[in-house]
Amino acid sequence: MSDVRTLDQGHAPERFARGWHCLGLASTFADRKPHAIEAFGTKLVVWADTQGELNVLDGYCRHMGGDLTQGSVKGDEIACPFHDWRWGGDGKCKTIPYARRVPLRARTQRYETAIVNDQLLVWHDTEGSKADHDILPPQLPGLDEGLYTDWQWSSEHIEGSHCRELIDNVVDMAHFYYVHFAFPTSFRNVFEGHIATQFMESKGRPDKTEGYGDAELFLKSEATYYGPSYMINWLDTDYKGFNTEVILVNCHIPTGPDSFLLQYGITVKKPEGLDDKTTDFIATKYAEMFGSGFLQDVHIWKNKVPVQNPLLCEEDGPVYQLRRWYEQFYVDQAEVKGEMVDRFEFEVDTTKANEYWQDEVAENLRLKAEEDAASESAAESAGAEGEPSLMSGT
Amino acid sequence: MASFVPTSADTLEDQRLYTRARLTEVACLDCLACVGVKKNSEHHTSVQWDDEAKRHCPEMSRRDRLDGRAVTPACPRLVASIEAAARDGRIPIGAEDGY
Ligand code: FES
Ligand SMILES: [Fe+2]
Repeated sequence: MSDVRTLDQGHAPERFARGWHCLGLASTFADRKPHAIEAFGTKLVVWADTQGELNVLDGYCRHMGGDLTQGSVKGDEIACPFHDWRWGGDGKCKTIPYARRVPLRARTQRYETAIVNDQLLVWHDTEGSKADHDILPPQLPGLDEGLYTDWQWSSEHIEGSHCRELIDNVVDMAHFYYVHFAFPTSFRNVFEGHIATQFMESKGRPDKTEGYGDAELFLKSEATYYGPSYMINWLDTDYKGFNTEVILVNCHIPTGPDSFLLQYGITVKKPEGLDDKTTDFIATKYAEMFGSGFLQDVHIWKNKVPVQNPLLCEEDGPVYQLRRWYEQFYVDQAEVKGEMVDRFEFEVDTTKANEYWQDEVAENLRLKAEEDAASESAAESAGAEGEPSLMSGT
Repeated sequence: MASFVPTSADTLEDQRLYTRARLTEVACLDCLACVGVKKNSEHHTSVQWDDEAKRHCPEMSRRDRLDGRAVTPACPRLVASIEAAARDGRIPIGAEDGY
């Protein structure tokens, strides 16, 4: 027997998570046209009926498999481009224009919907349970009252990774230093029921200007997953004494066994005394920074392998407990065990890590100063002021 | 049906080590809650609750954060109880090869 540690890559689950999944901003579906969303190993069709209600069905017509997303909205129904069967939001075929009657069995897969924070959410469960509205993510106070900017919304297709890689970031203290260039000075997790939270305080690395590196940036972050795929991240930022309250929604839809659509939205609390244009500008800046922050993660995910048996050190967060929590969304409801949902708290000891990192950064700065002094063009290159940057909980 | 399926039996042992090993029972000094605690260092703390402990804790049954957030960060009385237990040497402090 060798004492070499092996990676257990395991097998990805055969199902997609149970729970609410966000398909995007509700306004993008309001135009009375069919919209295609890849999700849960198939394609969904989303459209608005005459009342403006959004409906979501499986995208493939149960008649002969026509692609409903290429059909058209007729009245309240989605009409198939192949033979014009008309499907209602309740999943039933309402009319077949050329037929005497509609077969009783003409029912397709529908997804129950909810609108939260201006976004369209659907309930997914392989067991076909009724949607559980008690575990919807919360509506953000002040959003409807106009206290926040409009959402800046972006999405990114991720191929070759199971979405659990994204979830793992909830507990991954050290990657914030190495991948996102910040010092996580305080780091804590709480898991309970269908909710998993990360509390983090951090400041930017002075030896980096990319990513979230910036010595003048202090951040208090609370990031909570409400179910398997929808995270709200409250971020109080202090950049050179200027405080901004930013809310990031980070959500995803699994599209296949190892692919998902990552979506994220940013809104900023409108500071008093600033006009909407300036505030929107700030929000846009933050959205760009988050975009680049996610890309730093994506690059890692694309190149890593899955691992069922991560080897942890004392400074790591509770990966195993987080995955135990996450497992609840992948087993039948009757098989959800107490330990998956029992409350669990974990405070990471960041003291030693930050000592080592401070030393490393000091050394980097010293080397850089030496290089700058040696280089004749040092004077010209010094002008690049970093953008105010920000680190999210992922 | 299992979901993320490990291919090695050692993985199950790892799961046990990281999630269940070395938990010390700590009782709250103010209520009847009793939790499992692990301290890998002075600043590290791992707290495993169960249903019964949660029912006993008045802080946990109070769900009234006004800011729309869902999580009770901690119960201050339990935190104090764990600190006291650590001070009295009732919780071993130190990690065993990372867990
Ligand atoms: S396949 Fe849709 S109407 Fe025939
Ligand atoms: Fe990350």
